[in-house]
Amino acid sequence: MKKKKGKIILAVVVGIFLFIQLYPVVWLFMASIKPSVELATEPFALPQNPTFVNYIDIFNEGSIFRYMWNSVKVTVTSILLILVLSSTAGFALAKFNFRISKPIYAFFTFGIMIPVQITLIPLFCFYSDMGILNSPITLVLPQVGFALPLSVMMFVSFYSFVPNELIEAAVIDGCSPYGAFFKVVFPLAKNTVITVASMYYILIWNDFIFANTFISDNKAKTVALGLRDYVGAFGNVNWGMTFAAIAVTILPPMLVYFALNKYVTAGMTLGATKG
Amino acid sequence: MNGVLKDKKAFLAFLLPALLFYLFSVFYPIEESIRLSFMKWGGLGEKKFIGFQNYIHLFSDKVFYTAFFNNLIYLVIVVGIQILVGLLFAVLLTYLTKGVSLIKTLYYVPCIITTVAVTQLFRSMYATQPVGIINQILNAVGLEKFATSWLTNVKTVLVCVSIPEGWRYTGMYMVIFYAALISLDPEVCEAAKMDGANAWKTLIFIKLPMIKEVLLLSLTMVLTGALRGFDIPFILTNGGPGNVSELMSTYMYKKAFGSNQFGYGSAIAVFIIVESMLVVGVLRILFTSKEERNERRIRKNARKALKGKQKRQGA
Repeated sequence: MKKKKGKIILAVVVGIFLFIQLYPVVWLFMASIKPSVELATEPFALPQNPTFVNYIDIFNEGSIFRYMWNSVKVTVTSILLILVLSSTAGFALAKFNFRISKPIYAFFTFGIMIPVQITLIPLFCFYSDMGILNSPITLVLPQVGFALPLSVMMFVSFYSFVPNELIEAAVIDGCSPYGAFFKVVFPLAKNTVITVASMYYILIWNDFIFANTFISDNKAKTVALGLRDYVGAFGNVNWGMTFAAIAVTILPPMLVYFALNKYVTAGMTLGATKG
Repeated sequence: MNGVLKDKKAFLAFLLPALLFYLFSVFYPIEESIRLSFMKWGGLGEKKFIGFQNYIHLFSDKVFYTAFFNNLIYLVIVVGIQILVGLLFAVLLTYLTKGVSLIKTLYYVPCIITTVAVTQLFRSMYATQPVGIINQILNAVGLEKFATSWLTNVKTVLVCVSIPEGWRYTGMYMVIFYAALISLDPEVCEAAKMDGANAWKTLIFIKLPMIKEVLLLSLTMVLTGALRGFDIPFILTNGGPGNVSELMSTYMYKKAFGSNQFGYGSAIAVFIIVESMLVVGVLRILFTSKEERNERRIRKNARKALKGKQKRQGA
């Protein structure tokens, strides 16, 4: 009897926590299908006259496609670079027998402590000297740099599970170190690749601080910046359109997350527990 | 980390691209920040070397102290929410038998939503015009006198910009703690139970010490994360009203990009780095107990002795 009571209390507490975590998200989708009058007067009630006019408005207005395309460009380039650089560097650190590997690995992990804000002023100056402010590359550079510590760590920790004998065998069979990497080791790292990619996909897609500093041109804005631009007739924020835009732009990370959530959370936990 | 390959050229070919990229995108900016922090520079024209002037100014700047102490309060709130609630929920989840993976998945959702969305959400919850949900609830339960304009009230604004940050990443730490807790050897807990420990005691004296490493890493992540807290306060209030909810990094941003004091901004940035490193160092020391340090020293000495012996035998 006592046990059953405990179970019920547990379920209720878990339910309350879950409600707190999910309510704002549910509210967001509800707000996006409310007509603007209703949003202003009854922002927290269930939608009485659901409408998709906000969605039609943002699609007609059209800038959302540009924002998303810009974000796609930055995100895809960054992830490709992160994967190429960290899978190779991880291989060098885990599978070559040099004494210098250990300090270099420590040097990479040191980066986890560095706050990203430190780069803003120097990179801003550097970019404006080069005249490349407002180009997607300005976002790729710091994104990749700050992703490397954790992603290198994740690849090293995976490679250390690949038995050395496997590589020795490949070398005896006439593989060069490059062959051993491309034909033997890298194909095994599929899970790590998906983990790193899905984790950083979400982080980079949502980036605000770099975009806000290096991008000011409307044509180059990414979603996180563009979301602040839905302004109505009198210079006020058009909340209905803003919420609809938010709902559309969080869909891509949501889809990836629900499809690959095992990998996403695996990345976070692995990164944290393997330290 | 004991590989088998010995080809030096291949080693460099694999390592250098990432290393150079990392040096350029992370360490070049650090070097530049340190250099700029000794300069007076308005963004255009000549940079003027002024020695420690920026730092002297920093330590006599009242707003900087406000930002520093605000940042401490922000840190306490964020750590409190993320670590305590995350841990509590992870523990609860270990007692649950059904639906764990679904709950984990859903609980994580706030982490993947963009900051702008999170802040807009909280902005409308705190709002007074139209009445936000927090004030609505207060009115409904007869606590009208506590209803306030949360983001313009100097007493509440700092707490209000801290809560969203704490809230959104709680799920991440829950997932981390949960993974650590369920990977523990069940036999140890069984043994504790046999010795008469109740669930509470098992948790405090057995389980938590066993996931110490994970706790340390999570704390490091939360603390350094909170010291660099930026997005949510920046978008919600931009440090206002006045400087009441100013954090160090929002202040740095304002100084550099708002009033073009790039040198002074860099000095604040350097301060943030030094502070983060100090915090991590202190945490490491706190978490390595005396026995562990002793043990490590003994092991080190033993290794040395062994090496010496091998050398002598080799000779």
